[in-house]
Amino acid sequence: MAGADSPSAALRRRDLCARGIRLAGKMRSDVVDLLDAYVEQQGLDASASVAAVEGVPPAAVERWDEQTGTQRLLENLAAYRAFRGLLAQMLEEQREQLGEADAALGRALAAVLLQVSAFAYHLEELLRLESRGPPTDEGDGPPPQPQSVFEQKLRGLGVLRELAQWAVRSARDLRQLAKPGPGAGSAPSPAESP
Amino acid sequence: MPHFAASSPVAEMANPVPSACCMVLAAVVVVYAQRHSQPDSHTQFERVGADVTMKCGSMDWDAAVTWTVNGTDIDESHLNGSYLILKNVDLSQSGQYSCYEGSAWHLKYQTTLKVGTPPREPVLMCRSNNYPKGFYCSWHLPTPTYIPNIFNISVIHGTKEMVCEKDAVPKNRCHIRYLQLFSTVKYKVTLTVTNALGKNYTTVTFDEFAIVKPDPPESVVAKPVPNNPRRLEVSWQNPSSWPDPESFPLKFFLRYRPLILDQWQHVELSDGTSHTITDAYAGKEYIIQVAAKDNDIGTWSDWSVAVHATPWTEEPKHLTTEAQITETTSASTSSFMAPPTTKICDKGAVVGSGAVAVCWTAGLVVAAYSALFI
Repeated sequence: MAGADSPSAALRRRDLCARGIRLAGKMRSDVVDLLDAYVEQQGLDASASVAAVEGVPPAAVERWDEQTGTQRLLENLAAYRAFRGLLAQMLEEQREQLGEADAALGRALAAVLLQVSAFAYHLEELLRLESRGPPTDEGDGPPPQPQSVFEQKLRGLGVLRELAQWAVRSARDLRQLAKPGPGAGSAPSPAESP
Repeated sequence: MPHFAASSPVAEMANPVPSACCMVLAAVVVVYAQRHSQPDSHTQFERVGADVTMKCGSMDWDAAVTWTVNGTDIDESHLNGSYLILKNVDLSQSGQYSCYEGSAWHLKYQTTLKVGTPPREPVLMCRSNNYPKGFYCSWHLPTPTYIPNIFNISVIHGTKEMVCEKDAVPKNRCHIRYLQLFSTVKYKVTLTVTNALGKNYTTVTFDEFAIVKPDPPESVVAKPVPNNPRRLEVSWQNPSSWPDPESFPLKFFLRYRPLILDQWQHVELSDGTSHTITDAYAGKEYIIQVAAKDNDIGTWSDWSVAVHATPWTEEPKHLTTEAQITETTSASTSSFMAPPTTKICDKGAVVGSGAVAVCWTAGLVVAAYSALFI
């Protein structure tokens, strides 16, 4: 396998990053549309605050600009693997609650789930390129089950909101990774003061 | 030899004038000192429209006093005993009020009256034009209060209180560094304004992405393209306040129109900082502007400064005498006809000698005219 720093590896990394950025952009656009449909379908208030939900990986990060490329990839991969499980659970809940009543929402959820899975695979490819290899997908078991239908709805809202944030963060992470530099997207210097 | 002593009759006759002058001078100094000796200075704030009563310090109600405002005597009709009564005060009545005792003009009390209003709800705006470094908030009052105001701002993100550092210039602005990025937790900013007559506040709540709005693109330049009468080349730069366009690229929106028309043409550009307009009207002056937005989040910037440009046109050839004769003899048939090698409306065509490329509509008009003259 070519070393992580070889020209071919660098080209491959840039190519994967570029495709990943496009995938993240499309995913975000679809998640935002899905979020609007979900809020309307579930009768929720779009401006409702949802407390941090157990099992949903928060996109928020401190000192983002100081992260290494590998850190970015690992955090992204862990997040999307978690979202894969969460979205699968949402899909099942939605089918149980609504059956075929809202097939469009079910299809939109399934489409986003597919994109999340594809993106996770994309990240694994990037990690292999870093000569690191992705961590095994042990999983932490199924996500915790909300108690009530209302809790399910709120959690769904939290999942989609956080996924939309992740899609933006992932595009930024991949742009950082795609920057030419020594090693795999080494951390730039901290941002200067305004 | 005798000498004049200080107490000699001649010396006594010479002294009275300077002595009298000294005494008068001393009296003037005393009066001046009394009049301008400083009791404790006060400031009082009153609302527009209020009735104000000023007491002359510890003087009794029936003491004989004189009130002045900014050095000008106040008419006795405004007095109730030694109290000064100002009804329904307005802004023009702000000033320094002084109270003097009787004919001695002994200053007994002084106050600065400032007439104003309590603050109305302030207007607060927060924006990030330097994402992902941070954001700033700026504020103003919708109407002036005419008295000093103090502004206090608090910024809360989740449970964390953040410090908004005041800018030196402008004074009504402060900025915050982002401690976290990509958070779904909203920011809550509360601005409180307080003055001597009252207090008011406003709160805005927003998430990190919603307030991202770059400054307009800079250094917008529009140039004609040589030998292309329908093209204009436009270029610009990222706003200098945007810290990392490589990791946080901007997309752009270009609008342009000929000065003679009101309708804009729009082009959205996902990358690059230049664009060639290819459908400009030949010979018409254009106005062009560009706006910017983060590729993924936030809102469009304001429009850039407008630039003007006119597409390239061929310079008219100077006519010689022979050329003029030639022109005259064949004027009715050839001067309005395009050269046979030039396609009408061909954007890339080189213009033939003496003729200007015209569009189809003008070509039909030309043909009609030609038919009339033959």
